[in-house]
Amino acid sequence: MASPAQQLPPGWTAEWDATHQRYLFIETHTGHTQWEPPAAGPELSPQPSVSPPPSHHAKRRQYAAGQTQAYYGVGDSLAAVPQYSAAAPQPQPTQLFTPGLAADGQFQQQQQQPPPYYGGHAEPEYINAPQQPVYPVQPPSQMGVLADQFGQMTMGHKGLRLFTTNLLTSPPEPLELRQPPPEIFLPPNSCLSQSPYANADASYQRCTLNAIPTTNSLLNKSKIPLGLVLTPYRSLKEGEEEVPVVTDTVIARCRRCRTYINPYVQFIDGGNRWRCCMCSLSNEVPQLFDWDQVRNQPGDRWARAELNHGVVEFVAPTEYMVRPPQPAVYIFLIDVSHSAIQSGMVATATRTILENLDRIPDENGRTKVSIIAFDTSLYFFTLPSGGAESSMLVVSDIDDVFLPKPTDLLVNLQEARPALETLLGRLSDMFQDNHTVGSALGPALQAGFQMMAPIGGKIMVLTASLPSIGVGALKNREDPKVLGTPKESGLLQAASPFYKTFAIECSRAQVSVDMFLFSPGYQDVATLACLPHYTAGQTFFYPAFNASRTEDAIKFAHEFGKVLAMPIMLEAVMRVRASKNLRMSSFHGNFFVRSTDLLAMPAVPQDLSYAIEVQIEDTITAPFVVFQTAVLHTTCYGERRIRVVTTALPTTSNLSEVFASADQVAIATLLANKAVERSITHRLEDSRDALFNKMVEVLTAYKASMTAAGAGASAQLAISENLKMLPVLVLGLLKNVGIRQSAQIPPDLRAYAQALLTSLPSQILIPYVYPNFYSLHNMPPECGTVGEHGIIMPPPLPLTSERLERHGLYVIEDGQTIFLWIGRDAVPQLVMDVFNLPSYEVLRGGKTTLPVLDNPFSQRVTAIIQKTREMRRGVYYPHLYIVKEDGEPPLRLWALSCLIQDRADVLPSYQQFISQLKDKVNGSGY
Amino acid sequence: MGGAGWLFLFAVLMAAGLLFTMVFFIIMFSDLECDYINPIDLCNKLNQFVLPEHTAHAFLAVLFLLSGQWIAFLLNAPLLAFNVNKIRSGNHMYDATEIFRTLPTHKKESFIKLGFYLLSFFYYLYRMIVALIADSE
Repeated sequence: MASPAQQLPPGWTAEWDATHQRYLFIETHTGHTQWEPPAAGPELSPQPSVSPPPSHHAKRRQYAAGQTQAYYGVGDSLAAVPQYSAAAPQPQPTQLFTPGLAADGQFQQQQQQPPPYYGGHAEPEYINAPQQPVYPVQPPSQMGVLADQFGQMTMGHKGLRLFTTNLLTSPPEPLELRQPPPEIFLPPNSCLSQSPYANADASYQRCTLNAIPTTNSLLNKSKIPLGLVLTPYRSLKEGEEEVPVVTDTVIARCRRCRTYINPYVQFIDGGNRWRCCMCSLSNEVPQLFDWDQVRNQPGDRWARAELNHGVVEFVAPTEYMVRPPQPAVYIFLIDVSHSAIQSGMVATATRTILENLDRIPDENGRTKVSIIAFDTSLYFFTLPSGGAESSMLVVSDIDDVFLPKPTDLLVNLQEARPALETLLGRLSDMFQDNHTVGSALGPALQAGFQMMAPIGGKIMVLTASLPSIGVGALKNREDPKVLGTPKESGLLQAASPFYKTFAIECSRAQVSVDMFLFSPGYQDVATLACLPHYTAGQTFFYPAFNASRTEDAIKFAHEFGKVLAMPIMLEAVMRVRASKNLRMSSFHGNFFVRSTDLLAMPAVPQDLSYAIEVQIEDTITAPFVVFQTAVLHTTCYGERRIRVVTTALPTTSNLSEVFASADQVAIATLLANKAVERSITHRLEDSRDALFNKMVEVLTAYKASMTAAGAGASAQLAISENLKMLPVLVLGLLKNVGIRQSAQIPPDLRAYAQALLTSLPSQILIPYVYPNFYSLHNMPPECGTVGEHGIIMPPPLPLTSERLERHGLYVIEDGQTIFLWIGRDAVPQLVMDVFNLPSYEVLRGGKTTLPVLDNPFSQRVTAIIQKTREMRRGVYYPHLYIVKEDGEPPLRLWALSCLIQDRADVLPSYQQFISQLKDKVNGSGY
Repeated sequence: MGGAGWLFLFAVLMAAGLLFTMVFFIIMFSDLECDYINPIDLCNKLNQFVLPEHTAHAFLAVLFLLSGQWIAFLLNAPLLAFNVNKIRSGNHMYDATEIFRTLPTHKKESFIKLGFYLLSFFYYLYRMIVALIADSE
């Protein structure tokens, strides 16, 4: 049966006739129908109602064939790597047999398409140009027939069209993850301003659905979780728009629901009043709204930032303050026990602080700092202002912590600068011969807390040992026998209640805690990460840190330096308001929930993501809804401000629009948060099942309501084009260190991965779940050189080891680690060019820094690595590992575990995963 | 008035006390839902009452056991086991960081306990009266 997915002349549509089992062709303006396809006109209609065939089918077939190889023997175990490469050198296959496709004969048309090289030498990809993606919008897929039927539902008004795709025949396309979320089509005249910034950018706030279903039952039908993913405090890269600031302290808010005025309100009554977009209450426009206070003359309200921008900051007047804006306070708790000194952590940390003293936010000279060292005793340092000498006070009574001196401990950064510099220079030498083993972390935290409790601020903990004495002492509970069993989730819960109760005290006193953990052994990251979790801080983990390896030192110094230099928000509270009948039901991320919808964050670091689940309580009647996040905070420069992020989304009562508007990246982020929470409260097993079942539910719902198959069995596994990557993202989550089924993952690594999963913003989380994979040895010549938008990156490959060639050089990176994979047959010239070594044999695997060599290939490779480290927001500076194809097995397996589309151990390959999904979807009569 | 009479009189008073504790818990939970109280204060307040409530209930159950009131004891045994299990696994206290997530469970639990104490209150009253009548005959 030939698909009508060929170019119909303008004015023709094709419809499937169920009784005759063939297509009926209709000329729309005359109503004339015929069975024979009409002769194609000379030119294509601009918007053919039948979707054109996609252009990447060769890849599909090629992939499927590869999978067949992977199934039968070759890919069975990771040990069989040689065979992988044995299969690889064959030329790019163009015509391979795929049973499903060929048997049908349905895709003959498509097979005539020229087979493009995978991701090939097409256009270069500019990663840092999200606004104008070079990659074309995905053409409607092979199931255009169905798409057409459903497309017609939405034909009438401009909006999203649903394109169905078959997961069995369309492998994941890494480039799709870089596309912007489905467009938001607001009803006309809903927005006051024509500004393109009226809706907040997706990097600040995005919703899992860009068209909100009007009723809860419609939402339940789609099975897609409704939630917001937000990063209200996002760092700005060079060239990005600053958040506009409203400086005149005229803040118009709704009297009833306290919504801030935004581009989606309506002016009524000749502009004297405005109608709230959430609760429809009419409010007065403040007198000063039309007055320019700077120039003291009438102003233009339409030019006001809050009516033109989705993300805006208000300078808050005194009503928004409980106290005058406090200065930023930093207290460093530095572990000086034997292991910390030995690892070189203390020396690296003090040097980093010293080097970054100028970068610590201190615009008006109010920032205060203090340093407390601890092993089994506490060491305080007085830093007299003006003096250059510091003196040390030792407190060994750790049961009842007190501050040895009321003054000079917490000092002004500028005034005590000389003393601080000498202290930092000497600190590591002072404890050089310290042989004390053990850590009184709890008492040290209490001391730091006492010192800063009247002001609030940030405590940065740097520790290399398990807390062993005083309050908050922890036991080594790592037990290899428990790993991989249901009891494992116990290891991911807090072992001592101290870290929760203390976190609450901190949250009350506006104290935030950041943890930098360095232990060579078990450190109970799960428990220690509780403190940052509830006080809105961050956890950083450097397992087996050793500063004598320069890579370790550089990574830590880089990340710590960035954290020090980061402008933070202090004393923040965040609240998300939404239109009537929408309710924020549960919250995920680093904060303390202070009341039903108020999130307390003593200090907000940049680029932390929060996820909020939303419930639809009653039928929504409005044509669009508004989500508004407001963060009331004090900047580290001593100004009280409110950051308001507004997103307006249309509502819909049409299920196909709900599917067509789903944002797979936001869904994956929300699912990651939910999965981690579930793994802690229930079991890891449960959280994996929940993820899998969610995916099955979505696919079942889609099949039942959006495809002709309905409830019956179907040979296809249909999903809309915009959700095509969701299964592979879910698979990535299932294979992530934080969730994966395995008996070999140390609980510390798991806990840290979970902390990352719940705090990374989508931009960093997606590569963490679905890593990037580039081939370097045969990348297009322009890759690695500086293009219009910075360094041009090679096209990403699908994450499967079929792509690894024996003579190749590859990069696999997940935002936290970069692997440089080198095949065993790499030509000496390549090794020479990149590593400056004579041959593959002398090359050693492991953590490394690439030498900068004077040849173009080396420079391009270095540029790509550099770009990988810099292209995302966030402070992370990934390690670079060289992985040799026949090198140490652990490292090789680690790198291969990033190739999530492969089968690994008990974890299914992508193709197996998809067929599991299909069996489930077909099995459960819905 | 004989031993059984005194015992059930005491039980009636205890049940009334426990009943009021549960009412207090439920009121506090709804206060939290309406933002009249913050979770930290709520947990501090309620946690003071958790152990006394459990002890009072356990004491009553043990009294029934010692005095050979088998039916009354068996009635109380499931709740006793539930409480003991909770204390053993260390999650009997309310956790301010988790309270909003677990609030529905807590409320449900409090309502069930309220119902249980109400029923046992009337049961003890009935047994007290029966014992008194038996005495006076």
